[in-house]
Amino acid sequence: MAGRRAAEASASGPARRKVPPEQRQFNLILALMATEQGLTKHDILSTVSGYAERFDDASDRANLERQFERDKEDVRELGVPLETVDQLGAEGDTRLQRYRIPKSLYRLPDDIEFSAEEVALLSLAAQVWREGSLTEQSRRALTKLKSFGHAVEQSVIGFAPSIRTREAAHDPLAGAIDRRRQVTFPYLKAGQPEPERRRVSPLALVNHEGRWHLHAHDEVADAPRTFLLSRIVGGVRVEEDAARAPRPDEAARAQRELKELFERTTATVIARPGSEADVVLRNRAGTVIEGETLIVRTTDLAVLADELAAFGADVRVEGPESVREAVLTRWRQVVESHG
Amino acid sequence: MAERRPPITSSDKLALLLGLVPYLIDEVRVSVTEAAAQFEVSPEQMRSLVGYLTGTGEPGPDGLYLPQGLFDIDWDDFEQRDVIRFRQAPLDEKPRLSSREASALLAGLQALSALPGFSERADLERLTEKLARGASGEVAPMAVQFRTADALRETVAAAVAGNERLRLDYVTTRGDRAEREVDPIRLESVDDVWYLRGWCLSRDAERTFRLDRMASAVAIGPAETHEPSTADAGELFRSDSDDLLVTVELPAASLPLIADYLGPEDALEYRADRAIARIPLAHLGLVGRLATRLAGVGAITEPPDARAAAAQWARDALAAADGQNPGER
Repeated sequence: MAGRRAAEASASGPARRKVPPEQRQFNLILALMATEQGLTKHDILSTVSGYAERFDDASDRANLERQFERDKEDVRELGVPLETVDQLGAEGDTRLQRYRIPKSLYRLPDDIEFSAEEVALLSLAAQVWREGSLTEQSRRALTKLKSFGHAVEQSVIGFAPSIRTREAAHDPLAGAIDRRRQVTFPYLKAGQPEPERRRVSPLALVNHEGRWHLHAHDEVADAPRTFLLSRIVGGVRVEEDAARAPRPDEAARAQRELKELFERTTATVIARPGSEADVVLRNRAGTVIEGETLIVRTTDLAVLADELAAFGADVRVEGPESVREAVLTRWRQVVESHG
Repeated sequence: MAERRPPITSSDKLALLLGLVPYLIDEVRVSVTEAAAQFEVSPEQMRSLVGYLTGTGEPGPDGLYLPQGLFDIDWDDFEQRDVIRFRQAPLDEKPRLSSREASALLAGLQALSALPGFSERADLERLTEKLARGASGEVAPMAVQFRTADALRETVAAAVAGNERLRLDYVTTRGDRAEREVDPIRLESVDDVWYLRGWCLSRDAERTFRLDRMASAVAIGPAETHEPSTADAGELFRSDSDDLLVTVELPAASLPLIADYLGPEDALEYRADRAIARIPLAHLGLVGRLATRLAGVGAITEPPDARAAAAQWARDALAAADGQNPGER
C-alpha cells in the first residue's frame, strides 16, 4: 500500500503545488546531502521540488535564482554546512560551481547526547533572554534539541535572571561577527553633541554589569576599542570588507579587560545619609565604604557621571575632577533647557 | 515568558523539520498527539507535516525522485491508529546547532551560573563543552558577566529557597524609608538589576523590591506561600493608570539613551529628525532624573509643572554642590 502511494507521488514528481519556503529549503538540504560531488545551480533549479515546478517558466528565472540565493543564506543561518565548490580552472564561475552538504559536518557528533536534565537546564538558559535575536536563536536551538525526545518546558523556579537586548544594534553585530564582516555605525560618545561614524571589525559581544558592550578592532584608529551598544545611535551597516578574526578566547578576554577596567576606574562620592542615593550606592557592586565616603567603580567615567547626576542634591562628587565637572554640566544643562 | 510567543518564522519551521525527522525515527513508533506535543504544534499540523515528508526525499542520480529515495511510513498505522512509524528515511541525523544558536544558549548558561545553587554545578561545564562541540562552526564570541552574589543577595536567595519571611529596611524612589515585612515569591533580575518579588504584609499585596534599595534584609521566621501573579518579569514594569505622563523631545538618533524609560505601549512620534515620546513616571520626584538623562540633547516639554520641577531639582543639586564646595563658582 505504501509502495503504491510513493509511486504515485514520484510519477508526476512531488505534487505540483505552491511549496512553502521551509519545505523547499528542506528539499534542498536533502538533495545536497545525497550528493557526493555536488549539484550545480542548474541541477538544483531543474530537479529539486520547490524550484523545479517553476523552472520551465523562463520569465521567472531571475526570481527563481534570487530565491535560491536567499535559501542558501537561510539554510546556512541555521548552521547547515552548505558548501560551494569551484570547478577547477573556473574559479568563481557560478554556473559551474557545485553545492553540497557533507553529512559528517551536518550531523551532531555521535558521542554528543543531551540528557533530560541537560535539556531542562538549557530551557532555563533560553529563558534568560527577554526578546530579540537571542530569544530566536535559543528557541531554534531548543527545537533542534527536541530531537532527543526530552520535554522542553517553560519552567518556573525561585530564581529567574533575565537579560534584555533592546539595542537594535545587537542583531546586526552578532550577524556580522558570525559572518566575519566589518561594520560601520554612528557612535555617540558621552558628553559629545554629535555622533561620529566608526568603522570596526566586530569581535565579541559582552554583557558586563547589565550593559551590552561590543569589543572590536577600530579599523581607522587601528587599535582595539570597546563600545557601549546603548550609545550606537543609528543603523549598523554590515560592510563587504572581511573583518579580523576573533581570537578563540575573545569574549573571555574582553570580559577580563572590562573587569580590570572596572576595578581600577573609580570616583569618590558622598551621599546624604539615609537617602536613596546612599542606600543604592552602598549596595552597588564593588563599592568601597570609608566612613561617609564611598568609592564607586565603573568601566566608563562618563557613564558613571550619568548615573550619579540622576541622584541630584543627594550626592556630592569629590573626584576625579572630570566626573565632578561632568555631573555639574548635566545639571546646568537641565536648568538651561527647562528654565 | 510563556505569555509572549513571538511570531513563528519560516526559519523556525525549517528548524522544526530538522529536529522532527530524527525524533520520529528515534522514537520508532509514536502517536501523532505525542509527537505534536513534543514539538508544540497541533495534531492536524503534525499530520500534515508527516504528509509532506512522505512526498519528499532525496533525488536519484538522474535528478528524479524515485520511491526508494523518499520518506515512507506505515500507512495503516498512520491512517487507522494515528501513529507514526517510518519504514524508510533518507535522513535520520540530528542537526548541529548554528554558532549563534550555541552562543545564545552558552551565554544564557553563564547568566544562570551566577545564581545561588548553580555556580557549583559541575554539569554546567560539561554542558558548555558539549554545546561548543555540537555547533556547526566556532561559537560566536559572546559572554555575560553577572555581578557576583553579595551578602544581601545571599540572604534574600536563602529566604526564597527556604520560604522565610524577610524584614526589609527599604527606601523608595520618593526617598521614603520604611520597614516592610515580605513573604518571598521569586528572586528575579533584569539586566543585572535584582528584584525580590514577594507578598508585602504591610500592603497586603504582591510587590516588587529592588535589592539595591534594601538598606538591610533579615530573615525573621517561616513565610506563608504565595503564588506569583505572573511568570513574566516584564510585567513588573507595567505602568499604572495614575502615573504622571510627561512629554519629552530629543533627536530621534538619541532615543537609545532613554530606552529603559520607554515601554512598548508608550506613545512615540517623529517630526523630521526629532522624536517626541510620552513617558509615564510614578511621581513628580522622578522628572529630574529623566531630565538629566536628556541633558545636552533634549528636554521635557510638557506639562509645565514637570518642566518647572526638573529645573528646580537641578538648581537644588547645583546649590547643594555649591554650598558644600566653596571653591565652586
